Amino acid sequence: MSSPTGGPPGPLTDESLRSAFSALADGVHVRDDQSYARVSAGWKDRYRRRRLTVAVLATIVFAAVDVVGLWALNSAESIPQVIFSDTGPPNGADSGSLIGSP
Amino acid sequence: MNEIGAADGTTTSPVPPRTREDGVEAIFKAHHGELVRLAVVLGADDAEDIVAEAFYQLYRRWSQLRRTESAIGYLRAAVVNLTRMRIRHIQVVRRHIQRSGPALETAQSGEALAVLRHDQRAIVEIVRELPARQREALVLRYWLDLSEREIAKTMDVTVGSVKVHISRGLAALTRKYEERR
Repeated sequence: MSSPTGGPPGPLTDESLRSAFSALADGVHVRDDQSYARVSAGWKDRYRRRRLTVAVLATIVFAAVDVVGLWALNSAESIPQVIFSDTGPPNGADSGSLIGSP
Repeated sequence: MNEIGAADGTTTSPVPPRTREDGVEAIFKAHHGELVRLAVVLGADDAEDIVAEAFYQLYRRWSQLRRTESAIGYLRAAVVNLTRMRIRHIQVVRRHIQRSGPALETAQSGEALAVLRHDQRAIVEIVRELPARQREALVLRYWLDLSEREIAKTMDVTVGSVKVHISRGLAALTRKYEERR
C-alpha cells in the first residue's frame, strides 16, 4: 500500500488484495435501466421462444413419424394373410374326424 | 432471502416463493448489483449481460432447484463460468486478429479501474493476467470471503484444487507485484 507520504507501495498483503478488490467493486455503478422488468423481459422472451421452438420441433417429428408409418402400411402388398381356411378338409382326413366339426 | 417474521417478531425458516416469477424477481432485487460487481472483479467486460444470462439460466432451471436458498450459489457459479468463457472468447478473438494486451478494458471496467490507487490498480491488472482458475479462486476468497468448501462448490472443483489455485495465484501475484515495485 502507498505510504501516507506517497512513497513506494508496501509489500503485497491479504489486506491490500481485499482492499483492491473492494475498491474495484465500489467503483462499479449498475445502470439505472437495469430494472427487473426491463432485464427480465429479455430472458422471458428467449424462454418463450425456446419453448415454442421445442414444441414445433416435437410436432414436426411426431407428424413425420406418422406419415412414414402410414406410407409403410399403405405400400405393403395386399396379399391376404390366410390363417384359417374352411374351404375343405386336409387331404386324407375323414370329415368326421376333424376337430371341431359338427 | 424470503424470511417471514412471525407475529412475535421471531424469524421463521425461509418460505419458498409461490412462483418462478416471484422467486426470480426477489433474488434479482436482492443480488443483481452484487453479481454485476462480482463479474467486474472477475474481469468481465460486459458484466450486466453476463448477469442477465445467469438469471436466464436460473429462470429456465427454476423447477430443478432443490431449495430456493441454493439459487444464489447457482447464480454465483453461473457468473463465474460465463465470465471465464467470455474472457477466453475475447482472448481467442484478439489473438486471431493479432492484438495484444489485457482483454478487459471496456467502458465499464475502465471506469471502475480509474478510481483505484496506483498500487490497487497494479494488483487488479496482475490478477487479471493470472490463469482463470487462480483469478476466480482469489476473487471468491478475498472479495466474497467464501470458505474453501463454498469456493469449491462454486467453481465445481475439489477443496484441494481450491487450495492449490489460491496458493499458486498468491505466489504468482506476489512475484509480479514485487517486479513492478
